[in-house]
Amino acid sequence: MDELELLKKDWVKSEDKFEKKSANQIYPMLLKKSSSIVKTLFYISVAELVFWIIINTLPFFMSDTYRAKHDEMYTSNTFIILSVLSYAIIMVFVYLLYKSHKSISVTDNARRLMKNILKTRKIIKYYVLYNLIMASVSMIFAFYYTSKHDPILIEKIEHFNNAQFLTMIGIFALFTIVFVTIIWLFYKLIYGILLKRLNKNYKELKKIEV
Amino acid sequence: MSKPLEQDFVELLEQNQNIVHKVCRLYTNNYDAHNDLFQEITIQLWKAFPKFRGDSKFSTWMYRVGLNTAITLYRKSKRTINTQQFDTVQFKISAEEYDNTEEEQLKLLYNAVHQLNDIEKALVFLYLEDKNYREISETMGITEVNARVKMNRVKTKLRTILNP
Repeated sequence: MDELELLKKDWVKSEDKFEKKSANQIYPMLLKKSSSIVKTLFYISVAELVFWIIINTLPFFMSDTYRAKHDEMYTSNTFIILSVLSYAIIMVFVYLLYKSHKSISVTDNARRLMKNILKTRKIIKYYVLYNLIMASVSMIFAFYYTSKHDPILIEKIEHFNNAQFLTMIGIFALFTIVFVTIIWLFYKLIYGILLKRLNKNYKELKKIEV
Repeated sequence: MSKPLEQDFVELLEQNQNIVHKVCRLYTNNYDAHNDLFQEITIQLWKAFPKFRGDSKFSTWMYRVGLNTAITLYRKSKRTINTQQFDTVQFKISAEEYDNTEEEQLKLLYNAVHQLNDIEKALVFLYLEDKNYREISETMGITEVNARVKMNRVKTKLRTILNP
């Protein structure tokens, strides 16, 4: 006899063996918090948005010198355009995240549900990637700007020989690389753990298609 | 949420709760984990209930939400995973001692099903629930042909687990 047929026979028979939940047991369940992956993903994406916005704005509120420099820079049109652009990009990401979270529906078929969850993750991935690239670019830009405009640094650089100058650039580059790598690894770790099973199941479903 | 909606939902769930229990039976291996998953499926059903239009049967709708929760949304607690591994080990030891009576064979079968991956379990579940390949393909989001192919592979895999 087919193994599954034997199982089916028993499956139907054993239907009444479950410990039935009464209405009184079900009501409190409706008030409990879900621990679903979508909810966790949502919290993480909000945290990512807030984190990068804080990173970008915190120095402005924390340091007077920074604010003074900031105000000075903002007299130039380039900086105003750049920051308007960067906030516009953040708004686009917020919109995309909102839209993809909305599209996640538990009543979709299994494959589409997984696909939509993974799509949401991808948007956060691009958001983080965008911020890392922007962070690197602004670091390089800030370094270049300071080395041209900051009188203390200009004076120091003038006394440097070639080796010292290269060391300084080396240290700076290393610092940037380490910073970007740490954040990227941290990010990979979070999503690696969170979505391991989902990725596996999605691959398994897609495997059938071949 | 209004009271009547809540009442409707609890009544429907109470009547159809076996579906949820059966999903839990395949995807968990002990009492605590069973109740944990039951609760998560209930929450997901309740959250999706306002969108339930009644154009499909409540039970059919439950299959989808139940399986989706078990396969995709549910995050197993550490405790659950540990106990599962323990149970599997226990079953393996006893497997050699059992006679081939039908009851023992069933025990081995359930144990074998528990060793399948999440997607394979879903296919087995829908098969046991007497769903045809069209319904299986619609629930999983794969083509009918692929549902058939995969089902055959699951049968072969079960046979291999049972007769290594």
